[in-house]
Amino acid sequence: MTASLVAFGRFEVGRLLRSWKFLIITVGFPVTFYMLFLGNQSSGTLVDSVSWRAYLMVTMCSFGALVAGLTAGGARLSAERASGWARQLRVTPIPAWSYVVTKVAASMLVILPVMVLVDVVGAVFGGVNLSIGNWFGLTAVMWASALPFALLGVFVGYLVNAETAFPVVIALMFVLGYFGGLFDPLANMPSALQTAAKALPSYHNASLGVAFLDGQGFDAQHWIVLGGYALVLSAAILLKHRVEEGRGLA
Amino acid sequence: MPLKPTALNLSRQPGAVAALRFDGASHHYGSYVAVDDLCLEVAGGETVALLGPNGAGKSTTISLLLGLLRPHSGSIEVLGTTPRKAVAQGRVGAMLQTGPGSGLPAGVKVGATLQLARRLYPRPAPFDVTVERAGIGELLDRQTHRLSGGQVQSVRFAIAIAGDPELVFLDEPTAAMDVAARRSFWKMLRQFSREGRTVLFATHHLHEADQIADRVVVINHGRVVADGPGAMLKACVASRRVRFVCERPDRAQLDGLEGVTDVEIHGHGVTLGSLDADATVRALVRQRIAFTDLEVTGAGLEDAFVALTEGGAVGRSA
Repeated sequence: MTASLVAFGRFEVGRLLRSWKFLIITVGFPVTFYMLFLGNQSSGTLVDSVSWRAYLMVTMCSFGALVAGLTAGGARLSAERASGWARQLRVTPIPAWSYVVTKVAASMLVILPVMVLVDVVGAVFGGVNLSIGNWFGLTAVMWASALPFALLGVFVGYLVNAETAFPVVIALMFVLGYFGGLFDPLANMPSALQTAAKALPSYHNASLGVAFLDGQGFDAQHWIVLGGYALVLSAAILLKHRVEEGRGLA
Repeated sequence: MPLKPTALNLSRQPGAVAALRFDGASHHYGSYVAVDDLCLEVAGGETVALLGPNGAGKSTTISLLLGLLRPHSGSIEVLGTTPRKAVAQGRVGAMLQTGPGSGLPAGVKVGATLQLARRLYPRPAPFDVTVERAGIGELLDRQTHRLSGGQVQSVRFAIAIAGDPELVFLDEPTAAMDVAARRSFWKMLRQFSREGRTVLFATHHLHEADQIADRVVVINHGRVVADGPGAMLKACVASRRVRFVCERPDRAQLDGLEGVTDVEIHGHGVTLGSLDADATVRALVRQRIAFTDLEVTGAGLEDAFVALTEGGAVGRSA
């Protein structure tokens, strides 16, 4: 069975990486925004005691992960479930849970290269200079804490149909991106929005990256909020999956 | 022809392990009963058509056989175990109805999809064998969204048999196929079933059921209303139409004639459904009913089907 699941996972990742639409959106957005916003602050500006170039690289890593997670799930998943392919897989020997778990795993796997690419753009065009260990550490921390984005994409794919999924994904991308402080440092926002940002997973994912860079240690609240999102979204997906399973649909 | 209900299950061999068995299984959606106390047994190697009008319970029956749905009462056995276990062991293949969707993953080639399907099973058939069986050799490099309706169904059939299953369920496999595609599909399926596999397909194409299956199980309102070889089913119900012109047709008299099952009168034109046309004609003469333009024709499976699903149960009814 393990071999079956590995084959299924590779098939899913392969399909994502061969999709031009997926690549253009997930790679294009964070990289373009990085280049566009880089000049918004003078090069010496410090945000949360980190240089603007590095800060923006971190927030664009978060944004890339958010976009990849939402796009990998979202409308793609919704359309696929409607097409009957998901149901076809249910009548093969792989267990019922493997479909949704593989979807989340595939999303996580494609989030990683998106983050690495933003790192490379930050290093090459932003002149961000870190030790090898810190590059690895930063990416590892941000990647691990990006799980809620992968879950959110799958949840949207389960919750809404293919037509509504697209606008929902776009809305989530910009709400979580903008209000999570990924485009503009949170300090520049009105205080009400600063408070609201602390409820969003995007803010906490980026904050972990910033905390890693400024070397002052992690604030536990980031992990707690992200862990909470992961739990709630997992439970919601599981519930939806169970309901559909009962109806013979999933 | 003698009409003994027991004679209808010719293919049943005592002691043979059943490929599937419904034992008084029911399933309902809210208050709507889709499958009602269904009893059905299919022996290994049989090709069985599940025939019935839309909403008869065909798809629910197949979903129950695959463990996608559970019976609310009664029990279901597939290959000597539960439906879910039979599926998990990779011994069952299925082609489900997909509505408007293709049932195939997007953004990938047919060949890659089939390769994946094989890897999901513990003992798949060799890739080339499945390609050959489904006749999709020319489609392997095609993207899944660039296929015609008939091609989609062939690819889905290949996926259904990729695991080299002992038992295959097909839910309206020829829906959205043109005549040529349909013909080649059934040719393919017949070849496949000849290799000793059990096939159960749902259809509302009467001729397909009659021509392809060893046995036709007619279901309506979630129950088996008839069960037997297609030819015998036709013989079971008003197998002949007796038509003639009569000056003053008397419905009650005609209805009482030997063999008559139904009477239609349009002006002077009379059509009788009869189980025994010879006896009916003799009775007409004996009773001195003046008739002209006598015509006796066989009723198609179409008529048999209507008669069966509209009312009386024939054969081994549940």
